[in-house]
Amino acid sequence: MTKKVMTIWLGGCSGCHISLLDLHERLLSVFSDDVELVYSPPLLDFKEIPEHVDVALIEGGIRNEDNVEEAEEVREAADVVIAVGTCACFGGIPGLGNLFENEELLERAYVSTPTTVNEEGEPPSEDLPELTWRVHPLSDVIDVDIMVPGCPPSPDDILEAVRCALEGEEFELPRKSVCDECPREKKGKVIRSIKRPFEGEPDPERCLLEQGYPCLGPATRAGCGGRCPEVGVPCAGCRGPAEGAPDQGAGMISALASAYRVEEEEEPGFDPVELAESVPDPVGWFYRFTLASALIPFRADRGEEP
Amino acid sequence: MPDGWYPKIVAFCCNWCSYGGADTAGVSRMQYPPSVRIIRVMCSGRVEPAFVLKAFREGADGVFVGGCHLGDCHYQAGNYKWWRRAELIKRLLDEIGIGSERFEYDWISASEGEKFAEVMRKFHERIEKLGPLKLNEKLELL
Ligand code: SF4
Ligand code: SF4
Ligand code: SF4
Ligand code: FES
Repeated sequence: MTKKVMTIWLGGCSGCHISLLDLHERLLSVFSDDVELVYSPPLLDFKEIPEHVDVALIEGGIRNEDNVEEAEEVREAADVVIAVGTCACFGGIPGLGNLFENEELLERAYVSTPTTVNEEGEPPSEDLPELTWRVHPLSDVIDVDIMVPGCPPSPDDILEAVRCALEGEEFELPRKSVCDECPREKKGKVIRSIKRPFEGEPDPERCLLEQGYPCLGPATRAGCGGRCPEVGVPCAGCRGPAEGAPDQGAGMISALASAYRVEEEEEPGFDPVELAESVPDPVGWFYRFTLASALIPFRADRGEEP
Repeated sequence: MPDGWYPKIVAFCCNWCSYGGADTAGVSRMQYPPSVRIIRVMCSGRVEPAFVLKAFREGADGVFVGGCHLGDCHYQAGNYKWWRRAELIKRLLDEIGIGSERFEYDWISASEGEKFAEVMRKFHERIEKLGPLKLNEKLELL
């Protein structure tokens, strides 16, 4: 019997769909005579979510009421739900919106950004779905069967997840951290303060964190081959928390604390405030992709009104 | 203080010093507020940042961590390790809107029962002034 697959985007940027399309002709290895794509916003012009599908790929997390409704409808329809990408798995970059009141977000997006022309000076309100109080990962709203982290995940990871879902196999993620696959050399020298990524020239061979650059590799799940640090850019943590430490920021605080002046800790003048104060933007570094699924997933002093 | 609210304080205390300090306070009948719930850990170095965040998530209005005096850690340098984490945790708590005032750490030896009671009384007073954190209610919002 022909199996049916659908894809949908919710609170995402469409990048995960682009990654899927990056499979190019390899898409044909999935969608053959036996597997039919029945719904997919960037590819097919159908308006109604099908009543039943074998596998549904969902990109994006929950940002508004419409996302909630569609997520629930897809869950109803699908035997297997795959959360594709870090937005769907952990809330992703949009999750940083949880640091602000919704009003502030709307005002910023629709009125005060320098590139916005809005003569009335009011955010639009008619016929738009209401924002939820905060951004959520998909799993806050529906059961998720397979998670494919990454912003976006590689085409191969998406392909493999779909294959596993169709064949009833378990989709396995690497259990190590990005540091384990990063080619840079760790010398165990201690750091004193955190630099901004644009400051100075990083040594091309050495671990970026040990040079004081804000790399999230120790707290991030492996699987990308350490492709950012490999070319001199600190890991931003896009693949979400490493195995066994589901709060990425808490994991990073531990890793960072162990890199600070360890060898001289018992000398007079040792004061960890120096390190803490040098971190320019703790939430933006520790939780850039996973605030919405962190232990404290929003600014705790936000108002309760939507 | 809101009606019917009483602070909830979680205190992680290392087995060899601060927990002993709490014990000394108890045995010598020194008063400290019943808002404090002590969780014994082997060493302050065992306290992970996630423990602190989890305590807040589960309803704590304040979190305290007590270890041995610097140089006295039973495992040599566990409290140095904790100290580095603690300062980073403070930084994060300010950014995430909990506020570092709801978090405290100190070095208390097993014989310092009076210090333990005093630190707890002061921390309790501070949390009482700050009022409830109310994270639970917000965690339920969609
Ligand atoms: S995970 Fe990244 S690529 Fe995918 S929708 Fe979110 S922001 Fe876009
Ligand atoms: S901290 Fe960053 S640069 Fe250093 S080993 Fe880990 S991933 Fe590589
Ligand atoms: S190095 Fe980090 S940010 Fe870069 S792709 Fe890998 S997980 Fe993502
Ligand atoms: S045993 Fe007390 S701080 Fe390590």
